Amino acid sequence: MSSPSQNPKPDLDETINVTQAHGRVERETAAAAREKRIADNGHEQVSLWVIAACGIVLLIAGGVLGNAGTLFSYNSTFKEGYVRDKPPGVADEGPKPKTALAAYSTKGAKIYSKCSGCHGADGKGDGVNFPSLAGSKWVVGDTQKLAMIVLNGVQGPISTGKTYGAGIMPAQGAGMSPEDLATLMTYLRNSFGNEVGDVVSAEMAQAAMDVSAAREKVGQAVTSEEIVANHMTMLPGETIAPDTLVNPITLAPAE
Amino acid sequence: MSSQSTNPTGQDALLRAGIDRSLRHPVMFFLTSAAAWLAVSLILGIISSAKVHSPGFMDGCSWFTYGRTQAAHVNALVYGWGFQAAFGVIIWLLSRLSRQECRAAGLILTAGHVWNFAISVGVLGILAGYGTGMPWMEFPAFTWPILLLTYFAIVVWSFVQFKVRPVGHVYISQWYLMAAMTWFPWIFITANVLLHVMPGNPVMAAGINAWYKSSLIFLFFTPIALGTAFYLTPKVSGRPIHSYSLAKLGFWSLAIIMPWAGMQKLAGAPIPYFIPYVGAASTILFFIPAFTAAINILRTALSDPDLVNHSPTLRFTMAGIVGLIVMAVAAVFLNLPGSTLTWTQFSLSGYGFEILALYAFFSFVMFGAIYFIVPRVTRREWLSRRLIKMHFFFSVYGISMIAVAAIFGGIQQGIGQEAFDQPWQESAAQRAVNYGWLITISWAFILFSNIFFFLHLTVMWLRLGRRSTHPTLLVADHGHSPHGEEGDIDNCGPGTASAAH
Repeated sequence: MSSPSQNPKPDLDETINVTQAHGRVERETAAAAREKRIADNGHEQVSLWVIAACGIVLLIAGGVLGNAGTLFSYNSTFKEGYVRDKPPGVADEGPKPKTALAAYSTKGAKIYSKCSGCHGADGKGDGVNFPSLAGSKWVVGDTQKLAMIVLNGVQGPISTGKTYGAGIMPAQGAGMSPEDLATLMTYLRNSFGNEVGDVVSAEMAQAAMDVSAAREKVGQAVTSEEIVANHMTMLPGETIAPDTLVNPITLAPAE
Repeated sequence: MSSQSTNPTGQDALLRAGIDRSLRHPVMFFLTSAAAWLAVSLILGIISSAKVHSPGFMDGCSWFTYGRTQAAHVNALVYGWGFQAAFGVIIWLLSRLSRQECRAAGLILTAGHVWNFAISVGVLGILAGYGTGMPWMEFPAFTWPILLLTYFAIVVWSFVQFKVRPVGHVYISQWYLMAAMTWFPWIFITANVLLHVMPGNPVMAAGINAWYKSSLIFLFFTPIALGTAFYLTPKVSGRPIHSYSLAKLGFWSLAIIMPWAGMQKLAGAPIPYFIPYVGAASTILFFIPAFTAAINILRTALSDPDLVNHSPTLRFTMAGIVGLIVMAVAAVFLNLPGSTLTWTQFSLSGYGFEILALYAFFSFVMFGAIYFIVPRVTRREWLSRRLIKMHFFFSVYGISMIAVAAIFGGIQQGIGQEAFDQPWQESAAQRAVNYGWLITISWAFILFSNIFFFLHLTVMWLRLGRRSTHPTLLVADHGHSPHGEEGDIDNCGPGTASAAH
């Protein structure tokens, strides 16, 4: 660095001490002056191993893109009919077993949603057009008459002798399976304050369907006379003990 | 150091000293408040990490629940520390490279205060429960236009300086910095408009958010740090950048590849099937711009290992470049869709990768730049070589522990999460606990060193540093300095009659 104090020429302006003035400049620039210049860029060849490393990564990235399949392949994300694999090493125990009474009532409650339009979610009817199911003798008494009413509907006066505004209850039996009937009956007999505590089995429900099909006036709603005359009896068939453990989905007894 | 060819002329040194002086207050303001925010962010990071292994810690106060402190920690790190360190470096470097004094120091300083105010409101907003829940965009929505306007007020002067620069060669650092400054508004406006102003499908919103996060790392923080390292390394070592063609390859591959990255975080989501794969592939390809730039810089600096060892600037910068290489390898390793991607999507690994990018790479280069810039703009040398060494070692060990713990702990946690036949508490949560401890302890180390760094920096701004003409180097013996006899920079420096020789 050309130090100002080495400048041999005297300054023409006597009031400025050249050495001091330049000294101030040097102090001002002390940090900047010791900086090195940024030299021109080097032109070294790119090493082969750098190219090789980048090439390997290019191959990996290419492999990732190659796995991408077709552009909008939703089938790869959402497989049709996908069922999650069983966890390895864990046996399929199925759903937790429930008591028969709870399992049948739960299923029956779902079927009852068809009935609740008239009889109400609380099963109390409206007192004018639709009779109450809570405490009804035809619901809690012998099973056969309840089955007949559900399957065929009912017209005229009901168990209390009163005739409701609707006059006739339509048949509900179409498309009903024995399980549906059994669970619905179990639900009706154990809800809304009814506490019969028994479980109507599918076998009993099947028997009810047979009885219903053998009626004299097949296809017509039952009347209170017909019920009193023919159906004041329990359905034949084995009942299920209410605390038997069953599979809540299939209703088969749990192992 | 007295060879004539490398010595600048006096005129040149005057110009550069003038540039430094014109930028003293804005640069020191950004760097100091950045360091303060870094300390705040680390405290929040310690609290949130402590919640991973000790959930009962401070559980009585809703302000310090995990969801809030973690978000506040990351946002303070990104916008408080990262952006402000970048601002300080951008305005100084581009003034120097364009050889223009800063003529808007007051305006930049004002904008800097507004930026800080917005960050404070944002962090308090998150802690008070008004966060948006979008990663890296958790500040309440009203802050983003403020941040955008402030950003323009801060960097637009550097564009002007670039425009009126003396015609000629555009240096590598200028490519990277100008590119980052242009890319950021694009990323920021796109993400905020699509998420806050015209919100669309929520699944795509999550994708845009992931893209924003990754773009901020790859298209803002990465080029800023690379541009800085490409300046500092030849400047301190006095050697030309190893290979110009390698630098060009690195820059253009970054520009072309990285905008595609980010969406791999949505692998398995109901978006077009190819998008996560494109994201994963381009994140893997980050290796190419990162590795080429890192090799270029390392080759330049390591031709003189002693210099790297003695210069605080070079030591931090090289540590950052090593961090970049680790980050590039992690980018390959963490994004293989068949295996690792599922483990890293929702685990600590993602955080580990972000910390690698933000701290092990970006922050270390910024520390290097700060150790270079501050003595020039304050005309004081760093007070204590021991403080610098302590800052370096605590940071290096701390960040290595965090990177290892977060990435490998995250993979363990991810494997635990995938084991869906096991209770989550036992498989995923329990596996992360010990790594959580490691992360908390490491942040505590880093916080310790950074509080002293912040104090050191503040003392420098108050001009209480060493009044020496010699740089503070990390050697015990200053007797054989290449800069000649040591002088007092204010009173009897080398320019006075007695000291001149």
